[in-house]
Amino acid sequence: MLALNSIRELRLRPLRTLLTLGGVTVATAMLSDMLMLGGGIQRSFSEVLESVGYELRLSPRGTLPFDTEATIRGIGGLRDTVESVAGVQDLVPVLAQTLTIMADGDESPGPRASRQTLALGLDTDEEGLYTLLAGRSPGDGEILIDPALAALLDTRPGDRLRLGVSSRFGTWGGDATAVVSGTAEFIFATRRDMPVALPMADLQALSARTDQASFAMIRLREGHAPGPVREAITAATDRVEVVTLAGIAEQVDERLSYFRQLAAILASVSLLVAALLIGTISAVSVSDQLGVIAALRAIGVSRRRIVGDLTAESAVLCGVGGGLGIALSIAVAHYLESILADFPGLPATVRFFVLSPGTLAAAYGLVVAAGVVAGLLPALRATRLEVTTLLHREEP
Amino acid sequence: MSRGTVVVVRDATREYRQGPTVVRALQGISVAVEQGDFLAVTGPSGSGKSTLLHLLGGVDVATAGEVRFLGRNLAEMTVEARAALRLREVGLVFQRFHLLPMLTALENVELPLAAARVRRGERRERAAAVLERVGLADRLRHRPSELSGGQLQRVAIARALVNQPALVLADEPTGELDRASSRRVLGLFRDLNATGTTLVVATHDLEFAEGARRRIEVVDGRIEG
Repeated sequence: MLALNSIRELRLRPLRTLLTLGGVTVATAMLSDMLMLGGGIQRSFSEVLESVGYELRLSPRGTLPFDTEATIRGIGGLRDTVESVAGVQDLVPVLAQTLTIMADGDESPGPRASRQTLALGLDTDEEGLYTLLAGRSPGDGEILIDPALAALLDTRPGDRLRLGVSSRFGTWGGDATAVVSGTAEFIFATRRDMPVALPMADLQALSARTDQASFAMIRLREGHAPGPVREAITAATDRVEVVTLAGIAEQVDERLSYFRQLAAILASVSLLVAALLIGTISAVSVSDQLGVIAALRAIGVSRRRIVGDLTAESAVLCGVGGGLGIALSIAVAHYLESILADFPGLPATVRFFVLSPGTLAAAYGLVVAAGVVAGLLPALRATRLEVTTLLHREEP
Repeated sequence: MSRGTVVVVRDATREYRQGPTVVRALQGISVAVEQGDFLAVTGPSGSGKSTLLHLLGGVDVATAGEVRFLGRNLAEMTVEARAALRLREVGLVFQRFHLLPMLTALENVELPLAAARVRRGERRERAAAVLERVGLADRLRHRPSELSGGQLQRVAIARALVNQPALVLADEPTGELDRASSRRVLGLFRDLNATGTTLVVATHDLEFAEGARRRIEVVDGRIEG
């Protein structure tokens, strides 16, 4: 009954109720977004890595992931060495090279119809690094391109493109051509990359990097764990760095650790704000009702029942505000995701905010729990006061 | 203790500590309330009337002496056991009514029944019947803000009666009422007493006190005369 009274009082004071709900909503949204941000990018990155279907990655020793300048020389021989290690099914080399792409017929590389972009040299039957959207994987003399690049160059499958090799020293070539075989979404590409893919041999020849690869991916045989195979490859060759997918995820996670720390701090602050807000409102509400609380205790209503009823107001405020906050957090996450999609150096397929029922439920549960605990404290304090003291205070 | 005794107080003292000072609110008081009694407790402000009521109803316990309610020594009961006893056997009426402002008269009267876990249908019926008995059958759905002082006190009396307690204690029930409303409340108390309700009323109001069956005066924590 006291709970019913308290909840009806929320309607009696609409401004106070709305302001409190607003505060809880914003605090919940912030908490929820920070929880999504805190664990989201790592989870999303791991999912992207796993989707490629390879367990280990080889890179030139001393380089960072996605470094396109350094190469592994003698990749053919290395391939034989690695594929002889127990547990290795196959090794797929990838060459990364910056190219200038022009629509065929343009006189020279220019801003209107040319674009510097990342080109990946791949064995033609490997689709792990991209998902075909139209056409087919590139064969000899063919090129697979990002749909945004296709739109920029106004080109479509079957059209011919001119290719020039770019480096920090300038662009040369431009005589080579390739026919567009199709369009694809490249898994590790950032939104600005607009990458292309060519057969490995074509790109090696174009960039004069014969028998070289920027990195290689290794698929393991069933039943073999990445850790021991990694150890075996490291023992077999010291020319490359071997990293497991978990290791790559860890490296990325380390680089982005400040996101997690920031998210954890902001999440804690949000929770604290929600608790303080509800605690204050609850303390005011309990103080307003001290006379009634004293009377109910005198009548014989149990302490536990009164505390439960008084806490109902906090629970309602947190329940409603928390629900609104979760909805707001989803909207804010979508908005922030669209801004962060251009974050340099991260694949566009990686998400900063990963929506999951578990995270949303955790945010909602934390806010409701914090609110109820914050509401509980003034209620407990009020019911622990001596009934006679309260009655003396409330009765003239 | 005779068979019809509701509550008996023997040589009870109640002391409070206010910082280093010990305040003696009641000193060696003895009083018995029999079934069907209508006892008025009078005395000046701060004389100990409210404290005596609190001891009689088990809201408070004596520092020394003994209070037995329906034969049970209240000092030997836990706080929650005394609360449960009050819920079943004691009806309390306060000067300031202490009704829940957002609940209707009916819901306010239902409150002790809800606390005693009486099912909803039954408590509605019983609360409505008691409100009818105090003359508020046409005010069931009204909130406290829609009722006069006299009506508010009658709702509070109905709340005190709804559990059919062995004893009804009223502390200055007419303190906030005008003369006409006070007389109406006195009439109601007399009617209730005539039908068997045991009442103890602390009051400044001499006219009200004279309407009771018997009267004691408390002065400086002692019963006079």
